[in-house]
Amino acid sequence: MVQETIPLTMASPGKLFSVTAIIAGWRLQRRLADMGLTTGIQVSVMNGQHAGPILLDVRGSRLGLGYGMAQKILVKEVNDG
Amino acid sequence: MSSADALKVREESLARLKSIYRDEAETVIADARYGFISGLLKDVLKKPSLERVSLSDKIDNVVINRWLGIPLFLALMYGVFQFVFTLSAPFMDWIDQFFGWIGGYAAGVSPEWFGSLLTDGIVGGLGSVLIFIPPIFLLFIAIAILEDCGYMARAAFVMDRLMHKIGLHGRSFIPMILGFGCNIPAIMACRTIENPRDRLTTILVNPFMSCGARLPIFVLLAGAFFTANQGLVVFSMYVIGIIAAIIMALIFRKSILKGPSGHFVMELPPYRMPTVMGVLVHMWERGQLFLKKAGTLIFTAVIVIWFLSSMPWGTDYASAGSWIGQIGRVIAPVFSPAGFGQWQAGVSIIFGFLAKEVVVGTMGTIFAVEEGLLGGVISSQLGWTPLVAFSFMVFCLLYMPCVAALGAIRGETKSWKWTGFAAVYTTVIAWIVATLIFQIGSLFI
Amino acid sequence: MAKKEIVVALAGNPNSGKTTVFNNLTGARQHVGNWPGVTVEKKEGICSFQEYNLRVVDLPGVYSLTAYSPDEVVARNFIIDEKPDVVVDIVDASNLERNLYLAVQIMEMEVPLIIALNMMDEVESRKYKINAKTLSQEIGTSVVQMVANRNQGTDALLDEIVRVAKKKIEAGGVRIEYGREVENEISKLEEAISKSPLASRYSPKWLAVKLLEGDEEVIKKFQEVINV
Repeated sequence: MVQETIPLTMASPGKLFSVTAIIAGWRLQRRLADMGLTTGIQVSVMNGQHAGPILLDVRGSRLGLGYGMAQKILVKEVNDG
Repeated sequence: MSSADALKVREESLARLKSIYRDEAETVIADARYGFISGLLKDVLKKPSLERVSLSDKIDNVVINRWLGIPLFLALMYGVFQFVFTLSAPFMDWIDQFFGWIGGYAAGVSPEWFGSLLTDGIVGGLGSVLIFIPPIFLLFIAIAILEDCGYMARAAFVMDRLMHKIGLHGRSFIPMILGFGCNIPAIMACRTIENPRDRLTTILVNPFMSCGARLPIFVLLAGAFFTANQGLVVFSMYVIGIIAAIIMALIFRKSILKGPSGHFVMELPPYRMPTVMGVLVHMWERGQLFLKKAGTLIFTAVIVIWFLSSMPWGTDYASAGSWIGQIGRVIAPVFSPAGFGQWQAGVSIIFGFLAKEVVVGTMGTIFAVEEGLLGGVISSQLGWTPLVAFSFMVFCLLYMPCVAALGAIRGETKSWKWTGFAAVYTTVIAWIVATLIFQIGSLFI
Repeated sequence: MAKKEIVVALAGNPNSGKTTVFNNLTGARQHVGNWPGVTVEKKEGICSFQEYNLRVVDLPGVYSLTAYSPDEVVARNFIIDEKPDVVVDIVDASNLERNLYLAVQIMEMEVPLIIALNMMDEVESRKYKINAKTLSQEIGTSVVQMVANRNQGTDALLDEIVRVAKKKIEAGGVRIEYGREVENEISKLEEAISKSPLASRYSPKWLAVKLLEGDEEVIKKFQEVINV
């Protein structure tokens, strides 16, 4: 089954997602990479879904992202099956 | 030239890599680093197959909860202020007694001018300021504890949504909190905000966060004129400051500092128990700025004011005929629309430019009484009503940041233009608001 | 007899406990100033250990050593320009994956490096297991375990600092492989760089990697040489 690509803001908490793309300039991409957020890695959302900042589990650390920022991160749900 | 060659080779390399990887070389390199680390950790790190939810995460479920987050923050802030003022009360009493003792001893000292310097200058001026060292240091201890345990990052996270509404983001929140202790470290803390418009806005509105130096003014006047409701009145000053900061931030972001906002990206580290040494070092880093200010600026200011009050030789101390009285009488008319057009008020405001504590220090030196009696003296000698006192407090709250804070603004913005702007716009707003309060208030009271 | 001086740079992520380690080492003998020319705080302190005076410099907490912010530039410049005797990277061991990203970049600078695994108490409470010996072997630097909050591991760190300084260990850490194509380009660049005057001050390999990364500060350095 093909998973659809959604912005991080629509990712349900607690599930594992793979980062497919980060739609941002090079400065922001580099900053996110420095903090562990690169394409291809698996992340999960820690807090509830709503119009506010997102708390993300990135390589074991907790990263807070503004809502606008989170909208630019595209992810795809990881399926075990 | 080989260095130019190097740059040319670089361009070619980047182009080649881009065509191979369909990605920037820098991304490939970053991925390679993380790849190395992953491989390394497979041999080095073992995590349990079923990882317990950490205590940190459990706490965060409550702390950054959409509904509980802000109320929890407000409750914590209330707790902090309670902690600060309850604990500092006994220390403030000791300091008061100490200065009272100096005053008693100095009464009989000769030569007379030295005795006057001790009682009128030091006890009246410096004493009324130093008495506030305990609450300021305790506040810095509280802030250090909140930062070192990891909570401050959560506060920024929780506030991000609200900060967005005024055109800023979560990172601007922490300097605002620091401003309640002292604006100087607060302005310096704005360095972590990368977006220049966000950073400048946060710096420009920071002076409205009522720093510890203004507390002597509020406590003194609220205590004398609003005895029954003093706590509420002091609290209202903080609230007015916050509202002013919010409104000005909105205005700036929609006018002179318009433009896209930065992005909020912040690590929330696991909660850690702060160490005693860590908290004390942290507190001292900020508190020492305040002490340096007291030791130098305020002390000098007090001596100067005492001198101006005692000259010309022979006039009554701090009378309208003394030099300080003469200076004051030139300035005073500016403030009559705001209700405090007396020369003593005008002079206090001018010297308050050096350090806001000096407002009280000046009054103390001019009226030559210690802090405990100052309120009553102002009431009787200046004929102020509670409305005037309130208007004066609001003016002191809002007007130009002290010279040390302006120095910090200049240091962070590297611009005289913005430093000057900060000094001018705050004073103009202070005058307008104080005048409005007095004029409109006079219609009702 | 005068004590010999060892200059130690403390690097690490923000929130890694670096400040606690710094406080443990220097106690009250620390002072804060500013790095020249920038509004970044400079924290330095003294620690007397055995026959040495350690001058400990607390570098700004950074996630990386790219030229993204003044903090990173200051940290990086101190390491490559001042060439401290030892660099200690304070790592939050409960967050190894992200923290090692900085360690790897320090290794690229080819300086004497010690990796301090801090917050081992958190590692234990989470029931993680870290094989420090394997880590040391595979990453090519010494590894010290600490719980800075409880002042544990400070002596072991001091011992290791003196050992590394005495042996004048040139470069800590293995060389990372970036993939064949990238390595090819690095070699080509290295050749061009080795003829530049910058090659005598900085490692050509490091300069090559930085150029490919698009590092603004390094590009500026090259442009300055060209303009002279």
